[in-house]
Amino acid sequence: GVSGTPVEKNITLGSASRIELSCRLDNKYSHFKSLQVTWKRGNETVRHINKTENSWSIQLRILDNSKLGSYSCTLKGEEEVGAMFHLQPKIEGKEKPIISYEGDTAVMTCESSGYTPIAWTWYMTNGSEQIAININDSLLADKYVINTISANVTHLKILELTKEDDGVYWCEAAFELGKSKGKLKLKVLSFMVPLKPFLAIVAEVVVLVTIIFLYEMYLKKKEKRAAEFWSLTSLSYSKSEESNGLESSSARHRKI
Amino acid sequence: MQAKDSNPPDGGYGWVVVVSAFMVMGLTAAILKTFGLFFVEIQQHFDELASTTSWITSITIAIFHLGAPVASSLCVRYTHRAVVITGGLLAFSGMALGFLGLNMVWMYATTGFLQGLGISFSWTPAISIVSHYFSKKRALANAIASAGESAFAFTFGPFFQWLISQYGWKGGLFIIGGIQLNICVCGVLMRPLASSCVLEAPPDKGASKIDKEDQSPVTHKTFNWMLVRRPEFVLYAIFGILAAMSFFVPPLFLVPLSYSMGIDESWTASLLSILAMVDFAGRLLCGWYANLHVTKTVHLLTMTITLISTSLMLLPLANDYLSLAIFTGFYGFFFGTTVAVHITVLADVVGMSDFDSALGLFMLIRSTGGFVGPPLAGLLVDMAGDYRAGFYMAGTTLVLSAGFLVTLDQLQQRKERGSQANTKPEKSTLPYPSFHLLKLQ
Repeated sequence: GVSGTPVEKNITLGSASRIELSCRLDNKYSHFKSLQVTWKRGNETVRHINKTENSWSIQLRILDNSKLGSYSCTLKGEEEVGAMFHLQPKIEGKEKPIISYEGDTAVMTCESSGYTPIAWTWYMTNGSEQIAININDSLLADKYVINTISANVTHLKILELTKEDDGVYWCEAAFELGKSKGKLKLKVLSFMVPLKPFLAIVAEVVVLVTIIFLYEMYLKKKEKRAAEFWSLTSLSYSKSEESNGLESSSARHRKI
Repeated sequence: MQAKDSNPPDGGYGWVVVVSAFMVMGLTAAILKTFGLFFVEIQQHFDELASTTSWITSITIAIFHLGAPVASSLCVRYTHRAVVITGGLLAFSGMALGFLGLNMVWMYATTGFLQGLGISFSWTPAISIVSHYFSKKRALANAIASAGESAFAFTFGPFFQWLISQYGWKGGLFIIGGIQLNICVCGVLMRPLASSCVLEAPPDKGASKIDKEDQSPVTHKTFNWMLVRRPEFVLYAIFGILAAMSFFVPPLFLVPLSYSMGIDESWTASLLSILAMVDFAGRLLCGWYANLHVTKTVHLLTMTITLISTSLMLLPLANDYLSLAIFTGFYGFFFGTTVAVHITVLADVVGMSDFDSALGLFMLIRSTGGFVGPPLAGLLVDMAGDYRAGFYMAGTTLVLSAGFLVTLDQLQQRKERGSQANTKPEKSTLPYPSFHLLKLQ
């Protein structure tokens, strides 16, 4: 129902159909005496059928995309309210870019939810132009592979990626009533990109291992020297005890 | 060996080892837990089914468990340090080679097999050496080390997502491999205890060892299969199987249960964050409490298991986000306490002389429970048509496992009473129960 603020509704049509759009008024507005209801497509007025006291509808037979678009229903009374209906199927691309590497293969997927397209076409962008990818062209056959996985899903495989393949791609689904496009972004990175942080981490690891290793060797040497010192000390102590029961400390001093 | 048992540092350099083990936990278990973020990317790139892709993680987990006894026997021979460093190199190679991403089988071999082996060779010795370095403070040390897993898992989620968005999944794997090289740094820090040189004991020295009822000379050089003859170990192993059957189920079904209650994605994700946070808190708190030596570790473990099973039995009663979050919090907390203390209990059950072998064997036996649990729970869920069945099953198996713990405790108490009666001590190079014995007297 229309209630004071413009309402918009998107309706998706998969194929040619007969459709009825109706605007219904909530009961609380029925006190508006002079009500003028107009159905319009753009600026053209469409004839409407006044079905009941509070609803107005139009019937459309949509056979091709000439009848698609935005239809609005406007009620003029005390308040002017409106509703818009869009008729167009939509294709979802991917918001996040697909990241791949030079020399690698990239796979881009487009899916049409719910409605089966008649055909799929892929486009690449060259500057501001969109160029269709025609795999029948022998030049391109080595590079691009288009697979239709199922009726609703299509894959574009790009082999032997190079920097030039970086950019925006479009997948276009052709329906009975029109065409719809999805956008995909491909980013091609060189191996250097992850290599730099990787090497930084490896450097950190090597440095830490070396430091710890050297420190431990240093500690071991200290322990060894201390052990030698004490063994020599106790040796001279016991020897001095044999020869001379007293003054072991002075004996130690003399010996060492 | 006697020197090691009766005089572990119990502090000092031991704390360096604890920090090192904390890092190793994070760089192994936490990475395994968060690997799921790479799933969809890998699956789409190779155009495979989800089930085929999930074999990667299954292989990693399987090799992790199968490798544990191998790792522990290598520890005995070549020191913990060497095995951890090897593990770090293996884990790194698994991820770095995964970068090449030739095909799915390649991924199985690299991110599956090599990574699993690397994790196994890093995790097992790290857990083990902490127990070797401590006796009185062992529970606290183990708890702190195990908390590394939760701490890292918490941050790896967003970090991995960022990595994938910047470098793609291939670049992400490569960098994670590099990060895993830090396991080697941790390994270098794990100084072997001086007394482990005694391991190459000549036969006469071996005969003088007091080693429970077992009079065999050198049980250290080879992997000790005699463990399976000891009833305490067997009881604890069965406990391990039942507990493992239950442990993997709740994380698996929490998300679908949440969705089935109508909770949306972001709130469900917050449940997992709550789980990680209380897990971390539980581990630390349990370690602190166990360190007070107010309760015997076996009793503590029995209590925590009972509390987890209670939480799991009550969780299905939740009907909205708040109640689910509260029960999840309880479950996560007690799960953390259990994980923190269960290795210490193993050390108390078998003693430090056989600890390495016991750890490896325990992990291997326990893994059977881990493989049986999720499919069994899935079957029950399908039959009942409700995810809550999974939680009831997990709670029930935990109650059963607690039964085995109680039996184990009774057995130990009976033996202690028996040894009290005898004039000469029957066994006990175990520092902890004998300490408890003194307390009783």
